[in-house]
Amino acid sequence: MKNFNKTSYIKIILIYLILIVASSFFILPMLAAFVTAFKPGPIQMSSPPIWIFEPTILNFEKVLFGKGGIYNLINSLIVTFFAVSISMCIGVPAAYSLARLEMRGRKQLLAWIISLRMIPPVVVALPFFVIITKTGLYDTYIGLIITYLTFSIPMVIWIMRGYFSKTPKLEEAAMIDGCSRLQALRKVLLPVAMPGLAATSLLVAMVAWNEYMLALILTGRNTATLPIATLRYVTRIRVEWGELFAMNLIIAVPVLLIAIIIRKHLVSGLTFGLVEQK
Amino acid sequence: MIFGLYLCFVDYKSIGKEEIIYVGFDNFQAVLIDDIFINSITITFFYVTLSVSISFIFGFGLALILQQIKRGISIFHLIFIAPMAIAPPVVGLLWKWIYNPLFGLLNPILMFFGFPQQAPLASPDTALIAVLIADIWQWTSLVFLIMYAGISGLPKQPYEAAQIDGAGKIFIFYKITLPLLTPIIFVALVLRTVDAFRTFDLVNVMTAGGPALSTELLSLYVYRVAFKFFQLTQGVAAGHLMLIGVGIILGIYFKYLYKEL
Repeated sequence: MKNFNKTSYIKIILIYLILIVASSFFILPMLAAFVTAFKPGPIQMSSPPIWIFEPTILNFEKVLFGKGGIYNLINSLIVTFFAVSISMCIGVPAAYSLARLEMRGRKQLLAWIISLRMIPPVVVALPFFVIITKTGLYDTYIGLIITYLTFSIPMVIWIMRGYFSKTPKLEEAAMIDGCSRLQALRKVLLPVAMPGLAATSLLVAMVAWNEYMLALILTGRNTATLPIATLRYVTRIRVEWGELFAMNLIIAVPVLLIAIIIRKHLVSGLTFGLVEQK
Repeated sequence: MIFGLYLCFVDYKSIGKEEIIYVGFDNFQAVLIDDIFINSITITFFYVTLSVSISFIFGFGLALILQQIKRGISIFHLIFIAPMAIAPPVVGLLWKWIYNPLFGLLNPILMFFGFPQQAPLASPDTALIAVLIADIWQWTSLVFLIMYAGISGLPKQPYEAAQIDGAGKIFIFYKITLPLLTPIIFVALVLRTVDAFRTFDLVNVMTAGGPALSTELLSLYVYRVAFKFFQLTQGVAAGHLMLIGVGIILGIYFKYLYKEL
């Protein structure tokens, strides 16, 4: 018995050791970037890196107010907000009908919708580029938001369909009691589905916020979103790493917070409801 | 989509004019005889295979190991899923900085262990591997997230039964865990494969296909042909060839999916 205990101790220590090594592999780059964003200019590029210094928010000030990053932030917020709200308005009713109503071609429709997510964005980006420039929507919010809807609506439909098909058919009980279908939906089902709705919209917001390829092609001076704005610090001969990482933090921190909040729903969202976190 | 297919068969210079010239399969032909296209197919194949397999092994391994402990699960879980939430261009820039020969993180670490200094992104031999490491760093966490959820959802009874019957650990893993996890492994692999095919932002930020085209994946090829050389329709044609590749993976996936719905 004693022998057994000893080996199991060694085993547990070994497991923790592996976990710590693995997590430091994940966390070290992030930590280093985080620290660099708070470093004042001269010591950003010293080698070996200096770890003790007086933190400054100068980089953030420069990025946001000195170089117009605040406009990119506003652009990102506008595009994300509208992409999420429009796709929720369209996607949630669609998801409901796909989950509850029996109709022909339901499976085919669902498969088609999921295939939209799998298409490489470059393939759709080129036709979009032609359409958007010809309709004069280049470098406008509308153009970018419309293209974002092509991936955000399928996401909403798939996640919410999974959610609806798991909730009990409360609205049908309400319909027996004399509500119309829409009334029943609004008063009974939507309040119940609120946590799912919130998680879905946050997940879609996360993807729209991080989107890069379409924004790269479809935005110009006026509507460049945050990920595009980072390029401003790289294309020059000298890269301003401190400012770049300040910018990156502004992009990454909200998304990380969202990921932590919706941790439970993250799996089913990213796998289109095929895998569930227990 | 349909408009895109239509663009494949059109001469680019005629777009926007009154008469549109149809060129049949010339766009496809131009793509297929392009050496750079063939080159990028090889690179993409290499990239997808390595990225998917390595990130799957790491992610699955971490998920299995994390099941073994009792304390601190949620903090490790949090750390392991963090890279996935960060935007790929940001991850690309982060790794570009790490690889920087003058003030990046890599060289001090290499020096500490006594290795010679490196500039991985500058040489065609190492650039692809350097990019792969960044990709694996980011997407291992997706595999981990999926597999961890899958393993936590496994039923308990088969394990208890197997223990009573005196089955060994390796036997239990192969005969119970793996078969039960098959659908989830499948989902994880398909998602990773499709995502690896789509990779654009990470590589574009880190190397933009260079040096000497050593990291030019298919999506970068399409982008460059269309927007740097302004052969828009040729780019669209290449994109559709790429779509065929993804379509094959999707076909297998749908076969499975129909059973689930």
